[in-house]
Amino acid sequence: MTTAILETPTQTQPAKQKVILCEGNEAAALAVALARPDMVAVYPITPQSSLVEHVAALIADGRMDADIVDAEGEHSVLSVLQGGALAGARTYTATCGPGLAFMFEPYFRTSGMRLPIVMSIVTRDGITPQSVWGGHQDAMTVREVGWVQVYCETVQEVLDTTVMAFKIAEHHDVMLPVNVCLDGNYLSYGTSRVELPDQAEVDAFMGVKDVNWHVALDPHRPMAVDPLTGGTSGKGPSTFVRYRKGQCRGMQNSLRVIEEVHEEWAQRFGRSFAPLVEEYRLEDADYAIMTLGSMTGAAKDAIDEARDAGKRVGLIKIKTFSPFPVEALLKSLKKIRALGVVDRSVGFRWNCGPMYQETMGVLYRLCSETGSSLPSMSFIGGLAGADITVGHFHRVIEATESLLTKPAPIEPVWLNERD
Amino acid sequence: MGKSYNTIAFDSNKCDGCGDCMTACATIKTGTDDKARSRIQIVGSETDGFELALCRQCGDPKCVTVCPAAALTKNFDSGVIDWDASKCVDCLLCTVGCAYAGIALDAGTGHVAKCDTCDGAPACVPACPHDALTYITTSRIYNEVGGWEDLFAPGLAGCQGCNTELLMRHTLRRVGPETVLATPPGCVPGMGSVGFNGTTGTKIPVFHPLLTNTAAMLAGVKRQYKRVGRDVTALAIAGDGGASDVGFQSLSGAAERNEQILFMVVDNEGYMNTGMQRSSCTPYGAWTSTTPIGKGSGGMPSQGKTQDAKNLPLIMVNHRCEYVATASTAYMEDLYDKLDKAIQASKRGFAYLHVYSPCTTGWRFPTDQNMEVARKAVETNFVMLWEYNPKDGLHFTHSADEPLPVTEYLKAMGRFRHLSPDQISHIQGKVVENLAFVKQMAHREN
Repeated sequence: MTTAILETPTQTQPAKQKVILCEGNEAAALAVALARPDMVAVYPITPQSSLVEHVAALIADGRMDADIVDAEGEHSVLSVLQGGALAGARTYTATCGPGLAFMFEPYFRTSGMRLPIVMSIVTRDGITPQSVWGGHQDAMTVREVGWVQVYCETVQEVLDTTVMAFKIAEHHDVMLPVNVCLDGNYLSYGTSRVELPDQAEVDAFMGVKDVNWHVALDPHRPMAVDPLTGGTSGKGPSTFVRYRKGQCRGMQNSLRVIEEVHEEWAQRFGRSFAPLVEEYRLEDADYAIMTLGSMTGAAKDAIDEARDAGKRVGLIKIKTFSPFPVEALLKSLKKIRALGVVDRSVGFRWNCGPMYQETMGVLYRLCSETGSSLPSMSFIGGLAGADITVGHFHRVIEATESLLTKPAPIEPVWLNERD
Repeated sequence: MGKSYNTIAFDSNKCDGCGDCMTACATIKTGTDDKARSRIQIVGSETDGFELALCRQCGDPKCVTVCPAAALTKNFDSGVIDWDASKCVDCLLCTVGCAYAGIALDAGTGHVAKCDTCDGAPACVPACPHDALTYITTSRIYNEVGGWEDLFAPGLAGCQGCNTELLMRHTLRRVGPETVLATPPGCVPGMGSVGFNGTTGTKIPVFHPLLTNTAAMLAGVKRQYKRVGRDVTALAIAGDGGASDVGFQSLSGAAERNEQILFMVVDNEGYMNTGMQRSSCTPYGAWTSTTPIGKGSGGMPSQGKTQDAKNLPLIMVNHRCEYVATASTAYMEDLYDKLDKAIQASKRGFAYLHVYSPCTTGWRFPTDQNMEVARKAVETNFVMLWEYNPKDGLHFTHSADEPLPVTEYLKAMGRFRHLSPDQISHIQGKVVENLAFVKQMAHREN
């Protein structure tokens, strides 16, 4: 471990916290150690590899007491954790890109079994074309499978959110797996100042572990896990339907729980993050741009510059992408008259970004409630590790502003096409 | 639950009629060397062969039934049919009732006399110079396991006469209730072991892994119990398809990590639960629903599977598992021995048990031929019974010498009915080649 201690705790900090300098992958690993999982399973893949190396080093150094399973592939990584969780283990892993694709079969099943596994996705663009660089295509591709998915903006948010993810996942009203998405390259290797919470404080925050109260493989309480359901006779269809409905209820419950857990975190550790949707300089804005993940930093800088230039523009950042925070977003959208949505991945079916596609559903709700439509457009940038710069965001702001006076284009704007 | 007992077994092929057993019996029971008074009688001749006249200590003894004086009783502690001289009226009805000439008039006393096994140490057995007599029980399993709880519910929905159900019930009895059972998609859960719509066929924790991740998921369960200090056996009962094809990666990975699990493969040589499709364990020439028989095209008829079976247990040997063995339900004592060893080995690391399990539905043979088909597979060396551990290497547990021709096996079922003489000679050639290969491994210094 190469962690450098930069400052000693000061009186102004609400809890005892060390301040360190580290990359996002290390921050995630340190957060995992703070959450005290019983079992982690690892398999390397770029740009996630240094994360599992940090986890392995923490265990080797005795700074983390967990059973580490060096599995032979991502498919087995998640499968081992499913078994561990069914036997009562708090579990963690990380993956991305092709690894997530290979993991898909057990990935789909994890939410159905209501196993509160936490997994970082160090987001990476999808292949092919061949690429090892960042992008949200991997996480976006599996957004419909019943995992809670939250996206981080900063390295500090990676650390804090990774700890919170365990509490959200294991909440009895949720009992769903959680993906903490951190942008490959930009957050995984981005090094920044991070406040590291005190272990005892985190222990108090986490409370008592109880991950298999609802379903277990335990000779002390024998049960059949996941017997066959469905079919067209007997109780089959209704059993299946009630399972699915329960999953959807858990997803909706998670919106409330994510807010509660973020609130508790802010109280205990003094750091506050918008749990579902963040508004930035939106109150008096005529129009807004919408972002996800680490791109938001550059976007906020561009907003500040545009504001200085007299433009009435604000920003909406999505933190919780799955479940999609419809009500929270609706409130934000009611404040503006035009919207530009920037995605770091593509939606092949709609010829736009996936977040834009999701947002269009909310725009329909908005139109139903207000009787008027909100002009909007899709931007796609940052694919395959491309940087979305402040300059790019000025283009986004300008194009979005034009929606106030001109018809919205049907085609998305590809930000890095000539970079 | 009843109990079975030792009996004196006779191998007529080894007997030369010398009569030493009779002399030994007469000596100890009458104090004379008068063979006529011996309780054991060897009858017959060198040309016609010898036969045994001796009390079989029957479970349902006719001598007892016919005795009007209740002088004969079955002793349920020793298994011996006791004769009580004080009650006997010397009517000799018992000598007529017995089909084995196991009770007869002793002219020296004027009463009947019969074998009492010399209180469990019969004098005749060590007296035989040719080892034609042995004092054994053939029912060790029955005595040991008979009283144990069957951890599968009655009424599983397997095919009629399913060999896999037999294997599952024996296996779970042996492994016991402190077990977590993984049954990936296939015949095992297909017959209801995990259950359907809220019911289950298993009395211990049981789950459906994916077809692909059985070993990985089970390893996770085991690791957590190990972490919290609980001794739980992690058992998989998987089909050959899930193990040798799509589940092979997780199986190999778990074996390499030496996960402490017992992985049993029920090899019925195909995807029988989904309608008898080919797996990589399907043997050459076999009909399956995806290797059907037809006239083909270009003069090349479709004649069953065109490749040889993957030898999964040998691949597992090359993982240097704690224990690897092949077994057959036609050799239950051998199977139980291996199960015992595999359970113990799974407390140290990865144990792999490959059980050849005929499929009456998919292989096309009558249900009453199950054991016969299983036995013929071994007797022809179509499959071989052996075991391996890293310390002792590989050795046969059933002789592979003097096998029957493979046609004795092939003709027992419909899936090979179409075979051409060339195909049969290919299979026979592979049997010889496989034997040579396994023997080479058996002789290797470890």
